Order: sequence, then C-alpha cells, then structure tokens
Amino acid sequence: MNLSLYQDKDTWIHRLDPRTKITGIILIFAMCLCFNDPIYIAILTLGVLFILFFARSLKSLWTLRYILILLFLFSMIIWPFFVKGKTVWLCIKGFYIHKESILYAIAMGLRLSTFVMAGMILISTTKNEDITNGLIMMGLPYPIAFAISTALRLVPTFAGAGATIVQAQISRGLDLESKNIFKRFSKFIPLAVPIFIIAIRYTNLLSMALESRGFSPASPRTMYRRPYMKKNDWIVLISLLIVFVIILYIRIFLQAGIVIKDRL
Amino acid sequence: MGIAIKIDSLHFKYRSASKDSLANINSEIKEGNFVVIFGHGGAGKTTLCFSMNGLIPRFLHGEMKGNVFVKNKKTTDYRINEMAKTVGLVFQDFEAQLFCSNVELEVAFGLENLCLNIEEMEERIKKYIDFVGLLEKRKAQTSSLSGGQKQRLAIGAVLAMEPDVVVMDEPTTDLDPIGKNHILSISQMLRNKKRTLVMVDTDYEVAMDADYVWLMKDGEVVIKDSPRQVLTNLDLLKSCGVMVPQTLEFFKKMGWEEMPLNSKETIMHIKENHPEIIVPHRTLKINRKPVGSEKGIIETKDLYFRYPSSPDDILKNLNLKIYEGEIVAILGQNGSGKTTLAKHFNRLLRPTSGEVLIKGRKTTDYKQHELARIVGYVFQNPDHQIFSSTVWDEVAFGLKMLGEDEKNIKKNTEEAIFVTGLTGYENKSPFLLTKGERQRVAFASILSIKPEVIVLDEPTTGLDYAHQISAMNMLKELNNKGRTIVIITHSMWIAEQFATRVIIMKDGIIIADGPTRDIFFDEDVLKEASLVPSQIVRVSNWLKTQSLSVDELVEELKGESFSVSR
Repeated sequence: MNLSLYQDKDTWIHRLDPRTKITGIILIFAMCLCFNDPIYIAILTLGVLFILFFARSLKSLWTLRYILILLFLFSMIIWPFFVKGKTVWLCIKGFYIHKESILYAIAMGLRLSTFVMAGMILISTTKNEDITNGLIMMGLPYPIAFAISTALRLVPTFAGAGATIVQAQISRGLDLESKNIFKRFSKFIPLAVPIFIIAIRYTNLLSMALESRGFSPASPRTMYRRPYMKKNDWIVLISLLIVFVIILYIRIFLQAGIVIKDRL
Repeated sequence: MGIAIKIDSLHFKYRSASKDSLANINSEIKEGNFVVIFGHGGAGKTTLCFSMNGLIPRFLHGEMKGNVFVKNKKTTDYRINEMAKTVGLVFQDFEAQLFCSNVELEVAFGLENLCLNIEEMEERIKKYIDFVGLLEKRKAQTSSLSGGQKQRLAIGAVLAMEPDVVVMDEPTTDLDPIGKNHILSISQMLRNKKRTLVMVDTDYEVAMDADYVWLMKDGEVVIKDSPRQVLTNLDLLKSCGVMVPQTLEFFKKMGWEEMPLNSKETIMHIKENHPEIIVPHRTLKINRKPVGSEKGIIETKDLYFRYPSSPDDILKNLNLKIYEGEIVAILGQNGSGKTTLAKHFNRLLRPTSGEVLIKGRKTTDYKQHELARIVGYVFQNPDHQIFSSTVWDEVAFGLKMLGEDEKNIKKNTEEAIFVTGLTGYENKSPFLLTKGERQRVAFASILSIKPEVIVLDEPTTGLDYAHQISAMNMLKELNNKGRTIVIITHSMWIAEQFATRVIIMKDGIIIADGPTRDIFFDEDVLKEASLVPSQIVRVSNWLKTQSLSVDELVEELKGESFSVSR
C-alpha cells in the first residue's frame, strides 16, 4: 500500500520550479489571511481545488479527507465561543449565538482546510529532492532544508508502520471497536510504544545508511536535478502576485470580504 | 595483487553488552577477491561489516581494540562519509537504505555527495541502473518496486559510487530463488571487474562461487578457506549452526565419497558412479493422503480485494478452502498477494467483493475478538507489536484483552512461554532480546490465546538455521495437536519439509494448489512464479522419487534397494 502523497504524474504544475511552488503557496496562504467572510474564502478554496485538479492530485486530498473534515468541524465548534458578533440568531439558556460568529467560524474552517490543500499542491506535485533543492536555492542552510524534506518523507513511512501496528494488536485481541472513550485511551499504549520504538530504530538505521553513502550535512554536494526558472514559472508567479494585489485592494480599500472587523 | 582489507586483532564490545561481539579477528582480503561470511545469528557478521566502513566505532559506540585498514586507510582516522569513497556498504534492511523518491535519484544521491558534475552523474546513473537490470524502471517510484528490485537498487546505488570494496550484509534474504540468482549474477560481474566483494549470507548456494568462505562463531572467525573446504566440513558447519548443503549430506548418508555441492554435480556423480539408483520405471505417485480432515475451516468465495485508493485488484477471484489440521505454505513473489490474502483470514482486511468464511460463517459477521480466538496472526516483524516491559506481560496481553480469568491467563501464558522455549525470560524486557527471541515472544503472545488456526507471515526470516528448524518443529508439534497452520514463506526447503499442502500465488491469482510433493514436482509452474525447488528436491525430481528431504530420500532409496535384493 502506497501512503505517499506525491502523485507521480507529468503535468505543467509538476514541471514548475520548486521555488515557484513554494513562493506560490506562501502567496496563497497570504490571500487566505485577507478575508474572513466565508464566501470570499470559499472562492479561494475553489481556486486551490482547481489547481489540484489540473495537477491531477485530487487523490491525495481524498487520502487526507478525515483531517480536512476534522479541521473544519473543530473550528466550527470552537470559534463561536471566542468571537462575538452583533446579530443574534439564537438564544439558548442565556447563551447567545450570533450570525457573524457562525459565519466567521465557517470562514476559519475553510481557511485552515485551504491551508492544508495549498500545502498539498506542493507535496503532491514536487519530488522530495526538489523541495530540498528549492529550499537550498532560496537560501536555507542545507541541514535545515534536509531536515524539512526528511520529515515530510518520513510521514508516509511511519503512517504505514502505524497501520501495521494497529493490525498486529487487533490480531491479539485489542478491541478498538468499543465506544467508551476512556477505555479507548488506555488502549493507546500498545499502539504508541511500538511506533516509538520503530521510529527510533528506523531513524537510526536511516542515518547510518545516509552516512555510508557519503552524506554529511556539512560537506558540499552537487545537485543532479538543479531547478531553473522557465517562462511558465514567471507567468505563474506574476499572475499570483496580480491576484494578491487585487485581493489586498478589495480588503483595504473596498473593505469587502469581512464579517468581523479588526480580525484577520 | 594488493591487499584490500586488513583486519588486525580486532575486538569489539557494544556499549551495554556484556560480552565481545567480535573477538580477535585477524584477516586479510586481497584485491579482487570475493569473500562470503557465514555464521549463526549473533555470530558478529553484521558487526564485522559495520567495522569495515567505520560505522563501528564512529556511529555505533563501544569498546574497540585493534585496527581495520581498507586500502591502507585506517577506518578510525576517517569520517564515515569519507570512507564511503573506498567502501560501499549494502545494509540488510533494504527498506531503510532507500530514501529517495525514484530509482535514478536514489543512484544520484551518492554521486551528489561525491560532488560529481551533471554529465558524470548522468553517465554513471545510466551505467549502473543498467548493470543491476533496472533500466526500464529508471523513473519509477522506489515504493512501487518489488522486494528484489529494491534490493538490486540498493546495490546499484552503492556500486555507482565506484568504491574499491563492496560489503553486502545478507542481500538475498527475503528474496525468492530467481531474485537470488539476479544478485548472484551481479556478484559474478563484480568479480570480472576485479572489485573486492565481501558478502554475508545464510544460504550456502551463494558461497559456491566465492574465493574464500569465512565461518564465524561467537564473534570469532573459525575457519577461512575455499568454499569446497569449508562447505564439505559438515561437522564444523553443524557446530556453527549453519545449514549443511543438502546434496553433501545426502551423499554422506548414502555412504558415497563424492562431495557434490549442488543438484547438477549430484546428478553427474549419480550418472557416473551410482547408476543403480536410476530406475527408469519409477513413477512418481501422488498418493500422500491429505493430512487435514474433511472439515473446512477457512474458505474464500470469489474473493476480490483492492485498496480504496488504488485502481488495481490485488486479489482476483480467489476460491480456496483450507481444512482443519493442514499445514499450508503460501509461496509466491513479493507483491503476489500472499500477505493480503492471509490478512483476510482474521478480517484485518475486508473483501472488496466475495466473502471469506471461517467455520462456515462470514468474517464480517464475527466480532473482532471472536475472530482473534479462532485465527491467530503472527506478523513478520515482532517490533510491530511488542510494547510491554516484561515478556510475561507481553505474552499475557491477548488473554487479558479477551477477558480471561486470572487462572486461565496464568496457565495459558506459562504454557505458551514453555512451548516457545522462553522459560527463564519471563521477567526480562522484550526490547533487550535478540531478533530471534523477540520473534518467539511475538509468537508466544498469539499462541497463548490458543487459536485454532495460526497464520505466520515469514516466520523464519532473520532466524539462523538452528532457530528456523526449532521454530518449524514447534509448529509441527502444534499441528500434531490439531492446530491448522498457514505459513507465508520464501524458503523453499521449509515449504518442502514441513507443509502438507502448497499454494502458489502470482499477481493475485492462485496458479497452483495441491499436495507438497505434487507442486514441487512441477518445476515449470514453479518457474512461472519465479520459484525453484531446493537442491535435494531437484535431485529427487530427476530421480522421480517421493522424497522431499535428505532423510526421506536416503530412506526411500535404501528401502528400494532392500526390496530389490530380496
């Protein structure tokens, strides 16, 4: 079973320079921060979904569906407690629910999910080595760039190990089907201990293998896939910048796309 | 010829270990030589490999005495990444040593560290991917490769750095016979290029082409000699816990003088010197009674399976019935669907369509803990389940989960610990045990539940010969007491000697299913699944005898000659 989020396709988005994609994702993050009206953010979400569609990477979204749904629900539940609006919709036993706070909660849920989805564009279309190389060429020190890309790479590995551990313990009668949440918590230890042990063993072995292949974070090395900027890269970057400027204009000068003022 | 490796009274003791892992090793390996290292589990083979590129003592700390020189470079004077130019090390665990996203980048990784320019890299990548036979897979994702391909990639990635010395730690375990032959042909090509090659293995077939074979026992090199000299020293091999070449044992037990190392030599010697055992009218009768009862315990009906995120069926229309009391071996290449099938037996996976019946009832109608009592599943890697602080707790875990009472927990745990030979280990921490011992703990923890069917995924990988035999005898014993056993294995001789029935899978389909003798006689079908019978069964097939092991063959032939003379 392949748990990696990278989609091995050949679309124009895959072929973009990793630096373009990293900068582009940061720009999309910034755009999401401009609005707190759910409709405006939903438009951005749609845009990101379109990009994922063109990158033929909607599949990796499906892999993360539970995380996305959880993020959305969680913010829907939490935000109305902290942000008060003006228009009262409901009053239950002295507890007011405001129209604006609900809208804001939806917006925040969408924003978080859009963050994740935008990140998915990068991870699903860029090889790990390209992310490392891109980060280095953007000026990050090698050890940090390598640490980031290794962390990304290890996620599917450990997710796979986790799945096997769950199966191994179920085979021994560990009952994960029971509903009681406290009982479930105590069943966490048989799952957590093996994954820690496996993670430690694995990273130890990995670093031995890295060094045995001549790797040292301090030494200079060459790049087999040195990224370079092409025409498409500039087109993407400039169009994203234009969109960002328009969004800033809408927010600052037209004061649109906001349900609650003085909040991001 | 110069000296490639010089080991000078080397001792090594791991930090926290109580005794030396390597003791007084003095050796020299000439340039261009091929050396195979044999030994029981824990003999110090891997430790010796690690000392050759400086991982010991630079990465794995401990007490080291003596010196190792590789190409006149003292390993302690250089950093590991500097030694990498001189010594290439292929690790036993090939999953952990592949960390790039596709084949060409994996090969490029080492070259980038050598600071080669793009043209040089391009040239070497092409050359070495071709060398290990992965040219069509050049752009393929590493995770999509089969076990054998991964192993070859790991070797190719090391070779591309063109080190003077290549050290491989058990590169052929986990591989089926054809995958093994691939690796062997690579070692042959390296020899032609006058590269020095050191290889640890557990399979004597690997050793036949070597210049020297070293036999290790308890941290020492007991003997260094030509393969023929070492492999024909049966008593020494046995005392070191290494598998004895079957054909040699066969000749010895027949009282014949020749020393054939493989089936080809055996057949040649028989033709020349012992033609009396070639009986033209002998016909292979498949009349081994099915050992299992008539009662089916596991049944699959039109079983299809695919992972939700994948378009390809992993299991395609499987119809299978396993009977009570059988020992079934499931064979097939990596990725043929063996493990996927077995995981359906206790509903770790649910069929995409079709159904799996346990005792006539659909697995989906059972509660998970009910199934755990009927079908026990032992995973390949014990580290996926061990979490308790003592062996006792680990073994008793399943019983506690299933809500047994104190008395039963105590009784069953004691029994499982006794059967697996772990008596005396009850209060030890399972994390500090060796791999073989951890495997037994994992097995005991399933056994304590007393399931009627025990499914084992690769129960013998990572175990040396002596432990493989004892593990299999234990299973045989349980089978005699009525348990049904299903094993997934790569090891031909284990299937031959212990299974009553063999199922061969390829690409999610069962291509052969029948009594063990029957299946191993049909070498064409085996070949289709990249399998080859063991040396002795190849001889037995040629003779058209019923036997599947050395002892059986000797008995059968002697019995025949007795009846003829009468």
